[in-house]
Amino acid sequence: MNSTGVPTGRARLDLLDPLEVSKLGGLELITEGVVEGFLSGLHRSPRRGFSVEFAEHRMYQPGDELRYVDWKILGRNDRLYVKQYEEETNLRAMVVFDISRSMAWTGSPSTVLPKLEYARRLIAALALVLIRQRDATGLITFDDDVRSVTPPRARLSHWRQLLATLSRSEAGQGTAASPALQRVVGQLRRRGLVVFISDLLLDRTLALKALRFLRHRGHQVLVLHIMDPAEVSLAGPNEARFEDPESRSAVVLRPRDWAGAYRETVRVVVSEWRLSCRRHGISYHRVTTDTPFGIVLREALAPPSRPA
Amino acid sequence: MIGFLHPWVLAGLAAAAVPILLHLLARREPPTVVFPAVRYLVTTTREHQRRLKLQNWLLLLLRTLLVAALVLAAAGPTVPVSGVPGHAPSALVLIVDNSPSSGAVVGGTPQLRQLIAAGRQVMARSTPEDALWLVTADGIPRRGDRATLTELLNSLKVSPRRLELGAAITLASDLLASEPRPGEIVLLTDLQASALSPAAPSAPLLVGRPAVAPPLNVGLGAIETGTQPWSSDGGRVSVTLVGDSGRQVPVTARLADRPGRQALGQAGASVSFSVPGRTSGWWPLTAELDPDEFRLDDRRVTAVRIAPVARVAWDTTSRFVAAAAEVLAANRRIARGQEVTAGGLGPGSSVVQPPADPAELGALNRALAARGINWSYGTLTTELAFTDSGAVVGRQSVIRRYTLQSTGSGRTGVLATVNGAPWIARDGRVVLLGSRLDPAWTDLPVSAGFMPFMDVLLNRLARGEAALEHGAPGDPVILPGLVTEVRQGQRDWRVEGGGQFQPPDQGVYYLLAGRDTVGAVSVNPDSRESRLARATDGQARRLWQGARLVPLEEAGDAAFSYASRGDLRGPLLWVALLVGMMEVGLASAWRRRP
Repeated sequence: MNSTGVPTGRARLDLLDPLEVSKLGGLELITEGVVEGFLSGLHRSPRRGFSVEFAEHRMYQPGDELRYVDWKILGRNDRLYVKQYEEETNLRAMVVFDISRSMAWTGSPSTVLPKLEYARRLIAALALVLIRQRDATGLITFDDDVRSVTPPRARLSHWRQLLATLSRSEAGQGTAASPALQRVVGQLRRRGLVVFISDLLLDRTLALKALRFLRHRGHQVLVLHIMDPAEVSLAGPNEARFEDPESRSAVVLRPRDWAGAYRETVRVVVSEWRLSCRRHGISYHRVTTDTPFGIVLREALAPPSRPA
Repeated sequence: MIGFLHPWVLAGLAAAAVPILLHLLARREPPTVVFPAVRYLVTTTREHQRRLKLQNWLLLLLRTLLVAALVLAAAGPTVPVSGVPGHAPSALVLIVDNSPSSGAVVGGTPQLRQLIAAGRQVMARSTPEDALWLVTADGIPRRGDRATLTELLNSLKVSPRRLELGAAITLASDLLASEPRPGEIVLLTDLQASALSPAAPSAPLLVGRPAVAPPLNVGLGAIETGTQPWSSDGGRVSVTLVGDSGRQVPVTARLADRPGRQALGQAGASVSFSVPGRTSGWWPLTAELDPDEFRLDDRRVTAVRIAPVARVAWDTTSRFVAAAAEVLAANRRIARGQEVTAGGLGPGSSVVQPPADPAELGALNRALAARGINWSYGTLTTELAFTDSGAVVGRQSVIRRYTLQSTGSGRTGVLATVNGAPWIARDGRVVLLGSRLDPAWTDLPVSAGFMPFMDVLLNRLARGEAALEHGAPGDPVILPGLVTEVRQGQRDWRVEGGGQFQPPDQGVYYLLAGRDTVGAVSVNPDSRESRLARATDGQARRLWQGARLVPLEEAGDAAFSYASRGDLRGPLLWVALLVGMMEVGLASAWRRRP
C-alpha cells in the first residue's frame, strides 16, 4: 500500500479488471497505482530514449541482468549492486483521444467500463509512464472537431493538468479524426510519438491518410483501437433495431441470426486496420475494454515493430 | 383422383397460414438498441441480406408445408395406386356367382369351390377398417366383418337361383353409393355368357373368372305333359334338351315310381314318350339324364293331373261352343253329362258367357247373385283390346266385352285379363267369360288355342282346378285365388289366394284349397343355366365399362390394389417428419452461421 492508499506490491492494479480498478478511487489515484504496478513488473526501463543516464544503485535481485551489475562495488565491498538508469527526456508524445459519442457506450454497464472511461484511465496511465521517463506528453481530444489541445510537457505537474483535461472531456458528437491528427503536426515539431486512441468508428480512409502523413513526418505512431466486448460479439434481444448513437442510422435484425456473420465482419475490419497500419509502419493494437490496463501498457510500450 | 376419409379435417388447412401470420406479426416494430458499431452491421447485412431473405422464405415454406402435411395426413388422403401392399380403408362388395352353373365340375373341382377359394383370398386382404358386403345368387346383400363373411363363404352352396350379373353389379353400386370410403366391386363368376347383362358400375369393377374352359354340356331344358288332365290311359311327355354339346344322351321319363321310359336325344332337340297312366290324382313326372359334369340340369320335374274327363252339357245355340264340345267329345276329352254346363249357368259347374241379347243380362246377374256368385256382368265395351298372356289363355284380340264386376271383398278368382281388367273370373265352380265365344266378340274361337282352352276350361277350371304353373327357384309365382296352402314333400306354407309365392328350390309344389289339391307349380332351374359357354373378356368389358378381368387365382391379389387407393397418411407423416427435421436442421445451422 503506498502513501495514497492504493494497493500496490502484491495486488497489482495494472492486472486487475478495469471496472474493479475504477471503483477503487479517482483517476489520479488509480492511475498511479496502475503505473506503480506496471513499472514494478518491468526489469528495465519500459522505454529507451536517445540516451540514458545513471540514476541510483540498488541491491541485486535475482533476475536482474548481469550487465547492470556494478563490478567496482562488488570488488570493493563484495556486495552485488545494480546500476539503475533513467532515460533522458527528449521524447515528445502526443495522445490523440477520440471523445465522440460512440466512445461513451458500453454494452454492459454493470461489468464493463464505457470505452471513454476506459480510455481516460489508459491515457492517464500512459501519460504518467511517459512523464516519469521525462517524456513530454500532450493531449488532443476530438469528436467531430478538435475539442481541446494540451501541448506536450514533461513535468509531473503537467500530468495533473492532463488529468484535469481528461476529466473534463465529455462525450461529444460525431467523429472526425483528420483535423485532430493534423493538429499534431503543429504540436510535434521534432519526431515524436503519436498515440491515437479511438474506437475507429470513423472514415478509415481519411484517418489512415492522416496517420500516414504523421508517419511520413517521422513520427512513431501507435493506434489503440478501443472496442467494447459487446462490439466484438453481437448479442441482444430476439429482434432489435440497432441504432448508431452518432449518425442515428439503424438496422433491424435478429442478433442470433447474424452473430456469426457479424463476428466475421469485425474480424475482417480489425484485420484490415492491422494490415493497413503495418504496411505504413504504424503500430496497431486492438484493445477491449475488459482488458487489464497493465497488459495494454505492456503491448503499447513495447519496442516498436519495424515498418513493413 | 385424390380422396379423403375425413374431408372435414381439411378445414384445418387454414392452420397452414399460421406460420405466415406469425411471420407478419413478428414484423412489428422491435425495440431500439443503441449500438455504435452499426456500420459493421450494415456491412454484414449488405453481404448476407439476399441469402438470409432466401433462408427466411425457405423456413417459412417448410413450416407451412409442415402444417399442411399434418392437416392433410389427418384428413386421411387416398390416391389410386397399384402394387402397394396395404390399402386405404375401403368399401368392397364381393359378388360370388353361386348360380346353378357354378355347380359344374371343371378340372375335377366344382367351379363354386374355386370361386369360394378366390373369395377367401379377397377377404384375407381386407382390414378391420374396410366395409364389406357379400352378395350371392339369392340377391340379398350381407354386410359383415371379414370373419363373418368368410364363414358365410365357406358355407356357400350352389344356389338353384339364377344370378343376373348386371343386376348384381347394379345392386353393388347402390350399396356403395352411400359409402364415403372409396368403393370397389369384386365379381367372382364363371362368366357364363347367358348370365351377362349390361350394368354401369359406379365403382372400380374387378372380375375374377376361371382360366379353364367349361365342359360341353347337355341338360334338360323343358318338360311338356300336353293337355291335362290325363285319363287313366296316360299321356305323352315331350322333353327338350338344351346345351352346347352335340352328343346324344339317353333321357329317362318316369311317372311317380313307375319304371321309366328311355329315349336318345341331343341338345336342341325334343324327345317324346308315351307314359302309361295311373289312378286319378296328382302325380310327379321326372325326366332324367345320366350324370355329367353339370348335375343340376340332369333332372327336371313336373306334375301330371290324372282324372276322368268332364261330363258336359253344352249350349247348342252357341255355335262355336257346341262345335268345340263335340270335337272334345269325339276325342274323348269330355263326355256328355250334367257335371259341367258349357255356355250358360247350369245347376252345377258352369262356364257362363254373356247373353247375346243385352236384355237378358239383368236376369243372368240376378241368377248369379242367387247362386251366391261374387261376380256379375257390368257394362258392354266395344273397342279392340288384347288379352294379357297367362297360363289360361294366350294373347287374343277382344272386340266386345262386358266388364266383370266383383261384388265381394276383393278380386279373387281372376283367371285372365284384358288390359288388366278381369276377362275370365271364377267363383267356386262357376266361370264367367267377359265375351261370348264368338268371332264377333273375340278371335279366340277361331284361333289354334281354342281347343286346348276349352279343354282346360271344361276339365279343370270349371271343376275348380288351377292351370299348371311353371317357375324357377326364387322367382315369384302368382297363386290362384282359391289357394290356401302350398305343399312340397313334407314342407307346407300357408298362403293367401292371389298373393305371391317364392318356391325356394327345385321340385313340384302342390296348391291346396282347403283339403283339395287344385293345382301345382313345377319349379326347375332356368334352362339358360345349361349353356355353360363362357363370355369373352371383350364382351364383359363392352357391357361393364372399365371392368378389369383377371383369372380367379389372381383375384385375391388384385382386390383392393385394383385401382386401389393407397393410404397417403403414412407418406405424409414421413414428409412432415422430414420437413420438420429439415426446418430444425437448417434453422439451427443458419443460426450458428447465417
